[in-house]
Amino acid sequence: MSLKLRDALRSTAAWRISLWTTFAFAAGTAIAFVIMYVLVAHDIQQRTDAWLSGEAEVLADVAANTPRDSLYDRLVEEVAELASREVPTDPGEKGARKNTVFFLDARPGQAPIWVGPGPMDSFVAAIRDANLVPGVPQTIHVKGWPEPFRAVFHVNESGGKLFLGFSDLAATDMMHRLTVRFLVIGAGIVLLGFIISSAGAFRTLQRVERIAETVSQIGSEDLTRRVPEGSRNDEISRLSRTFNNMLDRIQASVRELHVLTDSVAHDLKSPVTAIRGSLEVALSEANESTWRDTVADAIEKLDRLSQTLNTALDLAEADAGALQLHRQPVDLGNLLRQLVDLYEPAMGERNHELACHFQEGVIVDADLSLLHRVLANLLDNEIAHLPPSRSIVITLRGGESQAELTVEDDGPGFTPELKDKAFERFVKGEQSTGHGLGLAFVHAVVRAHGGSVTIKNRPVSGAIITLQLPVMSVAIA
Amino acid sequence: MRLLVVEDDLEIQDFLRRGLTEAGYEVDAAADAASGENLALEGIHDALIIDLGLPDRDGLELIARCRAQGSQAPVLILSARRSVDERVRGLEQGGDDYLTKPFALAELLARLRNLLRRSSPAQQESARLRVADLELDLVRREAHRGKRELQLTSQEFALLEYLCRNAGRVVTRTMILDHVWRMRFDPATNVVDVHIYRLRSKVDHEAKQPLIQTIRGVGYVLKTS
Repeated sequence: MSLKLRDALRSTAAWRISLWTTFAFAAGTAIAFVIMYVLVAHDIQQRTDAWLSGEAEVLADVAANTPRDSLYDRLVEEVAELASREVPTDPGEKGARKNTVFFLDARPGQAPIWVGPGPMDSFVAAIRDANLVPGVPQTIHVKGWPEPFRAVFHVNESGGKLFLGFSDLAATDMMHRLTVRFLVIGAGIVLLGFIISSAGAFRTLQRVERIAETVSQIGSEDLTRRVPEGSRNDEISRLSRTFNNMLDRIQASVRELHVLTDSVAHDLKSPVTAIRGSLEVALSEANESTWRDTVADAIEKLDRLSQTLNTALDLAEADAGALQLHRQPVDLGNLLRQLVDLYEPAMGERNHELACHFQEGVIVDADLSLLHRVLANLLDNEIAHLPPSRSIVITLRGGESQAELTVEDDGPGFTPELKDKAFERFVKGEQSTGHGLGLAFVHAVVRAHGGSVTIKNRPVSGAIITLQLPVMSVAIA
Repeated sequence: MRLLVVEDDLEIQDFLRRGLTEAGYEVDAAADAASGENLALEGIHDALIIDLGLPDRDGLELIARCRAQGSQAPVLILSARRSVDERVRGLEQGGDDYLTKPFALAELLARLRNLLRRSSPAQQESARLRVADLELDLVRREAHRGKRELQLTSQEFALLEYLCRNAGRVVTRTMILDHVWRMRFDPATNVVDVHIYRLRSKVDHEAKQPLIQTIRGVGYVLKTS
């Protein structure tokens, strides 16, 4: 019971949709029928009226030109003929009623002549009530007769009145049958429509239901499941695809979060463990000179830890689009020369050869302190990862819209697995002693500036990192 | 010189008090904005060190109130918030310098000295710096150790000048980068150290008394004797 109720509640949307469509469909059909009915009835009445007017004129003519004695018989004959006039009805049909005609000739001072299907009084009363206008057919309702009559009258020269009435029973019956058939067939069609539309609505909404079910399971179980997309390219498929894209993103973020927590666990916990351990050991040793070393060592490790934290926070900010850029025009060549000036001795220490090719006057609109850190990161990388006695080439070129900075070396280059995800957080080479945030930071900052970073390996051996930044202006060489 | 430290973290307050006392300052401390304000308005402090994250009120508000009530003492802001906007806001509200946590005590002392110097009447800028038997001619950009002239590059001269100006006091790598190269970041490699080694090989070459000393874990110091 509760299951049924729940199903019914769940299906309310499908019910509503099919009920509304059915209602609209039924209403449309009914309106179409009413219009058709009115048109047909109008047509029939026009035909009846035309006939009635014509006959009434003929009768009036006859009545005027026929002597009173013999007139009666002639009229009876005419009326009988009229009454037997067949408005086409199926002769085989049982219970088909004959059409009914009445005729009244009333002259002042003479007994009226009455020919009709019943007693004259009720007809006369109806005629009186109707206020007929001569020559214009009108509908009158006679007491005792369910169907109305169409009646017309003429005024003789002698002041006598001649009435002729006609009830087209066959037509009424036909219209009646038409209505009944319409109701039966119409109800059938509407029912069929209801079934089809509700089946469609149920099927469609079942797909939505399946999406909802899958998504709710994904929330609680695993993130690898996906909503069935279906082969069609309709709204529901698009909804599914949107959901799947969203799930992809969620899965990626969750994976990143796992990597992040794992890395934080590793990158923060191991130095903390090391610092704590060495301090603890130093405490149990009585040697003061060891204490000094240990404390100094601990401070250095803590400094690196706080750097990691800062970079991780900057990255999180950049990823959330909240990195605030304090842009100013920066001459990249000058900036690079300053950095090279700073880094060259450290590179010389490792016997690296440094070659610089800087195009003059390449200005970018950038956050200077972030650029410092980005370029320092690249150069730190070269110092940290390049085996001794290699060559490093730094090139700056200013294009029309992009400034291109490449840092190239002839070291071992990136390993294939590192190359694909070097910009991900906490991804680092096996031998790396860094925190794996450097290139991720470079990537995030450059992207925040509207630029791009690519890494590739040289054909023989070595790595090339290319930074592209939107340029503000380039001096014409 | 008397300082006021407003910092709610008692461990930080304690090490600041110890470090500053050792550096020769008298130190008062408060753990919240209300008592900090009361102390600050006594007007007996030469500089205020104010943490932004106080329990009862924002540190920025405290600074603004002190300034509104006529306190002239320079303010060094401490904050765990790293954003540049925060820094700008701090300086707009009446702060004079801004230091993010974690920081080296050496840097705090250097900035403090800087603030105190700024607030005291300007001293005559000397054209020569003399430390022990080291002499720098700032106009001609020449350096002598005793009678020997040192062949320094302009960068090395700037580095030595910075060390001389802070003679006897520890300077961190970050401070050196900031003042000599005008860059604010923490290098991940030993770039600064290599410059120091090179400078040392020129300054202390065959000298009985090496002047440039490494303070492990913190930075470098140019000894005064």
